[in-house]
Amino acid sequence: MMTVAREFTYWRFCAWMGPAFMAVFIVFWGIMGHNIPPWNPDLPDSIIAGWFRSQASIIRTGMVVAMTCAVFYAVWGLAIGRVMSRIVPRDSILIDLQVWGAGLTVVPVLVSTSFWLAGAYRPEALPDSILQLLYDWAWLLIDLAYSVTSLQLFALGVACLHDQRSKPLIPKWLAWYGIWVGFMFIAECLMPFFKLGAFARDGILNFWIEFLIWFFWCPTLTLYVLKAINRIEREEVK
Amino acid sequence: MPQAAGDMRAGVVPSAPPAHRAPAALAGDHGVWLFITADVFAFAFFFLLFTWGRVGNPAVYEQSRHSLDAGIGLLNTLVLLTSSWFMVLAVEAAREGSRPRTVRNLSLAMSVGSGFAVSKVVEYTGKIQAGITMLTNEFFMYYFVFTGIHFIHFLIGMVVLAVCLHKARTQALDARYRVWIESSGCYWHMVDMLWIILFPLLYLQR
Repeated sequence: MMTVAREFTYWRFCAWMGPAFMAVFIVFWGIMGHNIPPWNPDLPDSIIAGWFRSQASIIRTGMVVAMTCAVFYAVWGLAIGRVMSRIVPRDSILIDLQVWGAGLTVVPVLVSTSFWLAGAYRPEALPDSILQLLYDWAWLLIDLAYSVTSLQLFALGVACLHDQRSKPLIPKWLAWYGIWVGFMFIAECLMPFFKLGAFARDGILNFWIEFLIWFFWCPTLTLYVLKAINRIEREEVK
Repeated sequence: MPQAAGDMRAGVVPSAPPAHRAPAALAGDHGVWLFITADVFAFAFFFLLFTWGRVGNPAVYEQSRHSLDAGIGLLNTLVLLTSSWFMVLAVEAAREGSRPRTVRNLSLAMSVGSGFAVSKVVEYTGKIQAGITMLTNEFFMYYFVFTGIHFIHFLIGMVVLAVCLHKARTQALDARYRVWIESSGCYWHMVDMLWIILFPLLYLQR
């Protein structure tokens, strides 16, 4: 029979999946997939097609690893859900919303990476415009699916604000910050309307600011989730 | 005007300050202030983007600015400030535990504030009917995006005020409610403040 102490070890393992997802995302999706920053949408299709053809092996490797590790985000969401269960009632719908938000975030990541992978699979046989379409399509999906991640951020934020402890498990400032990040993601709605400027997919707002505020949130939340797990363990394992 | 200065002008000698003053405290939930600060920084960044764009293309910005009706912009400012004033009265009433005044002032804050929505819809409709959209040029891109994001803030604020009003009608005006209404008031004032900067930036700046 599984001991309680071992269960907390699993929680910690799952909590580390957040930073692990982020690291994979940056290296394999971002750098190897030329998505940090993405290609400017105003570039001619020949540039995108040329990149797919010359870097096909690197893109394939990057996207295969990114697809394999996309599930890490859902695992991370489950660890957060366990900590939430010590803040709000265990059958609270806020936990379900957070877990579903994290789980559904995996879907656009998986599907969009499959588009980039499809472009790199046989780029020499595809016309330039199709390769450009695949690159655009992947970005439209990954940006416009923001609402599932916002759902996670809002549900977690609201739950943490209900914490009645004198020292909350997750600080309230981080709960509010998460709600703000989820709210800021709405700016992604502007991305399909622009090919240049701050609101384009590589723009200072829609790429740099949006990704940076999330990149700050993910490891910071993980740090507090790990601290919360230690505290819950001390309280519950006598 | 500070109370002490007012007393001096009236020829009244100000009394000595109390030996122990209560430490200054932020109104509402402290976490709300992080949200407000982050939001203000985001808008500050928007204003920087706009100013940067204007410096690079002053002729287009100046010509486009003339398509905006500064009168409507001023009306929006007055509407929001008046609504905020009623919000201040509602917070004061809640602190004093007066349910009728809290409900009345919150209702007035919402009623006056809803004028902003009417005005924005009229303004947006006029622009779109004139063939002006956020794709017209860089000025109108910023105009529609920034005022649009501000409008979303306004709508959220109206929902928050509606929740405050519902709670004021159905729940005790206790310490917990005071945190609610003070936090909502802080957010509502932020919506004002952002518009007070947006208005001259978009409508008046030459």
